[in-house]
Amino acid sequence: MKRFVIAFIAAFIFIVLWGWFYNGVLLKDVFAEAQSLFRPRDEMMSLFYWIVIGQAGLAFTFVLIYASGFAGGGIATGVRLGIMLELLAVSARCAIYATQPFPAKFLVLTSVGGFIEMIVTGVIVGAIYKPATARAS
Amino acid sequence: MDWKKFFIAFVAAFGFIFVFGFLWYGKLMHGVHQEVPLLWRPEAEFGNHFSWLVFGHIVMAFFLTLLCSKFVPAGGPGPCARLGILVALVYVGNDFIMYAVQPITMKILCGWIVGDLIMFGVAGAIIGTIYKSSSSATS
Repeated sequence: MKRFVIAFIAAFIFIVLWGWFYNGVLLKDVFAEAQSLFRPRDEMMSLFYWIVIGQAGLAFTFVLIYASGFAGGGIATGVRLGIMLELLAVSARCAIYATQPFPAKFLVLTSVGGFIEMIVTGVIVGAIYKPATARAS
Repeated sequence: MDWKKFFIAFVAAFGFIFVFGFLWYGKLMHGVHQEVPLLWRPEAEFGNHFSWLVFGHIVMAFFLTLLCSKFVPAGGPGPCARLGILVALVYVGNDFIMYAVQPITMKILCGWIVGDLIMFGVAGAIIGTIYKSSSSATS
């Protein structure tokens, strides 16, 4: 349980920092190109806690899935889970791209960021979380 | 891995996800989505991008099937439905983030969340039901 909580906190901190750096700093101009599809900055900031809850949910669910059946495989298994979950997220992005007028560049860049996010999260969770049986042996 | 059963489970999951997506997001939530018409592509433009929607659903069904077969090798509707719901919770996290950054309404957010949970839960159960016979045959 202790390792679960530590893995969750570490994954959550990384997801928050990466989300801020990649989406908020690196892709700032790309997001500006599709400004009409986003809330005004002030409105977005007033709803910022939804982003934090969403990222916490993402980190928690990642660790929960890993702990439920992938644990024991270490970093490689964490990375594998991250890649599989991100591929599912890419599929959702394809559906969003089909229905919302985002530029194709947006789909590609957010997916690249998503892969980095999920792979590193997999490394973090795989390195920290060890099931009790693995630790005992 | 029994690739024949995997393929059947994948096709069944794709069929369900596609039909459910059409009914839930396309028909049932159509009116709710139209509360923010600027967010969506016009009908003709959507038609030109329809292949992306199909491709997205194929990828979604394939990797959900792969995840279930790796995660729950014994199969079974219950454990696979549980995994499907966990995967849906990953999507719910993204839905929350989208609500914060895009001008979608609370009704749209709730509809997406409920839709994700039903879709992945049932798709997982379908995959688990088909994959169960495979594991029984090999064990």
